[in-house]
Amino acid sequence: MITRITHQMTQRTSLENIQTNLRAMSKLQGQASSLRRIEKPSDDPAGTAQALRLRSESRALSQYDRNASDGAAWLNTVDTALTTASTQLTRARTLAIQGANSGTMNAQSREAIAQEIEAARDALLGQANTTYLGRAVFAGTSDAGAAFDRDAVTGTYTYNGSAGTVERRIAEDVTVRVDGNGGAVFGTGATSVFATLDRLAADLRAGADVSGYIDEIDAHHDAILQETATIGARTNQIDAQLQANASKKLAVKADISAVEDVDLAETLVNLQAQEVAYKAALGATSRVLQPTLLDFIR
Amino acid sequence: MTSFSTLSTALSALTTQRAALDVAGQNVANVNTVGYTRQRAETTSVSAIASASRFSSGLPVGQGVTVTGVSRLGDIFADARVRSSTSLASDLLSRADSLTRLESTITEPSDKGVGAQLAQFWASWQDLSNNPGEAAPAQVVLESATMLSDAIRAGYQAVDTQWTEMRTQVSALVTEVNTTANGIAELNGSIRSVTVSGGNANELMDKRDMLILRMSELTGATARPMEDGTVTVSIGGNPVVSGDRAYGLHLEGATKMTGAASDVPLLAWDRTSAGPVSLDGGTLAGMIAALAPANATGTGGMLAEAARAYDSLATSLTTKVNAIHSTGVTTTGAPGGDFYTLGSDPAVPPSLALTLASTDYRNIAAATPGNGAFDGSVADRIAQIGTAVDSPDRDWQRFVVDLGVNTQSAVRSATVAESARSTAEQIQLAQTSVDIDEETINMLAFQRAYQGAARVMTTVDEMLDTLINRTGVVGR
Repeated sequence: MITRITHQMTQRTSLENIQTNLRAMSKLQGQASSLRRIEKPSDDPAGTAQALRLRSESRALSQYDRNASDGAAWLNTVDTALTTASTQLTRARTLAIQGANSGTMNAQSREAIAQEIEAARDALLGQANTTYLGRAVFAGTSDAGAAFDRDAVTGTYTYNGSAGTVERRIAEDVTVRVDGNGGAVFGTGATSVFATLDRLAADLRAGADVSGYIDEIDAHHDAILQETATIGARTNQIDAQLQANASKKLAVKADISAVEDVDLAETLVNLQAQEVAYKAALGATSRVLQPTLLDFIR
Repeated sequence: MTSFSTLSTALSALTTQRAALDVAGQNVANVNTVGYTRQRAETTSVSAIASASRFSSGLPVGQGVTVTGVSRLGDIFADARVRSSTSLASDLLSRADSLTRLESTITEPSDKGVGAQLAQFWASWQDLSNNPGEAAPAQVVLESATMLSDAIRAGYQAVDTQWTEMRTQVSALVTEVNTTANGIAELNGSIRSVTVSGGNANELMDKRDMLILRMSELTGATARPMEDGTVTVSIGGNPVVSGDRAYGLHLEGATKMTGAASDVPLLAWDRTSAGPVSLDGGTLAGMIAALAPANATGTGGMLAEAARAYDSLATSLTTKVNAIHSTGVTTTGAPGGDFYTLGSDPAVPPSLALTLASTDYRNIAAATPGNGAFDGSVADRIAQIGTAVDSPDRDWQRFVVDLGVNTQSAVRSATVAESARSTAEQIQLAQTSVDIDEETINMLAFQRAYQGAARVMTTVDEMLDTLINRTGVVGR
């Protein structure tokens, strides 16, 4: 119990109170102007732990988004190539049926059909060598410029694809294959669709019966359609994941804001209250420090 | 009892009241002087002279008043309480200050801190995995790897700088402790000789108390008043000032943070027999603790622990990235060696040694051997390091959160200790500080007493006048 009160004590107490109020006000002002509740870890250690985790999650999510968009572009390229290839192969099948009606055709018209089939084969080869940003989409992880090469001298075909597949990570533990399986779609070497069409053209020119090729072309067509379906399914998967990522990103952003940012209304109300307290401390000080006994005696 | 003795009684009253007024004047003059302790003139009545003989006539009346001394209205218990609470408060405050400063160097949570750099580093590996064999994403990987190692190095250097600055500050404060001890010893000597000769050493004592308080603030020293008026000041039970002798202390140990583990910085007595100084509190205790090396349980000096966190981040990053990177091959099929290197000199801390093993983007191994040259599966696996439970990211987050918790609790306990100190100081001030109202009333009382004594003189004077000038003139 302090029984003796002196002016020095009231002075110090007043100064201390003004200091305390001013410090609280400056902290609130800082928060109101920066709009951040956590400026440094000690402001809220638990919140900081959350904020750090959420920030790295947010960064990872935007990276998964980038990966998924890139993957979608790959799949679109593959899909377009496959659709065009399918059209060309249908055309080749029509020509093969036409050529199979051997009785009605002379050498010239067979030559014309053979040439048209060769044109279809070239178009198919072009589609099989489709690139996206310089990468052959049917060559897997290989660095070859083209998925299929045609030897100019022997006329044989080599598939340059490699063992690895092109994958895109679209979520923490989800990867999607985004390249076309060139070997399975177009076949390799002598059994490839290109070699089939070459033989077809050669047989046409030789006047042989080509009706057996129709089944072979159908088998190749089936392979293309099957791949198209797979690619479509993967595209759907990426689209779904992109949507999921988008909503997750929003949620993470909201969480970060909830952890790190100030509640503006609350802060402003607190600031107002603190201002009143500060003014009160100043007012009290001005009254406390003025009078002494000297004011009342002469 | 003579007629004139009343005059001398009145005179003693005049002198005494004037002396008391002098003391009040000194109090008022020092109303705002820090460390001043109010004083009071102690007066006592002078007793009557003993009768000279059995038949001496007259009534024995007192002989007036006299000043016996000027007392200093301090309270040694209040002083001791202020000293002990100050030593605790300044110890905790120096710890809180160091932690706050350390915390300000890590810039978390933000978009610029090590955490953000790590996330950026992993993301760049994802981009490389999407486009292996291309120069741009590979360069970005190298760039973000360099930025990350720069951020780790900068963080470590900030800790190192803080350590060096703190050591310099400690050695400056040790000099101040020695100067203060000498000052106290000198004042002890002066006070002893003034007291012995019956003088007034109150102002010297105020000065000495201020120095002792500063000593407690720095080292947690305690003081014990001795019978001859001197004060013995001790740190950890060993006297630093005894009578008019001061005993010096000095700072020993490494001058660099890297050497602190083998050569721990500590305070030692100049007189070798006393060994190291054991500090009970004070600013120096907090600072010496911060300079201590890291220990196995993670409770060592805060700066060394922070440096170790940076080092283990650098090491774990290097080990984890290299382990996967070395399994891959480059686009040309060459086996990938190390990505990061910690150098070959074990004396250089990993945080400072952390550099890229090769700055050529063509040496980045993103592909699994056997797959095509444009395979990015190794890059993808490196990018996934960041999501593992024991990832460098988690280690960093743990360090940041630990630092935050420590800082918060240090600041809180410093605030509590400060309010305890402030209360102790209020109690001391209540006892020692000057109250103007009180002094005004005292001055009024002294003035009235002076007037009264003067009136006694006038009265005696008039009586004598009557006796001398008006008697024996009957019928004149």
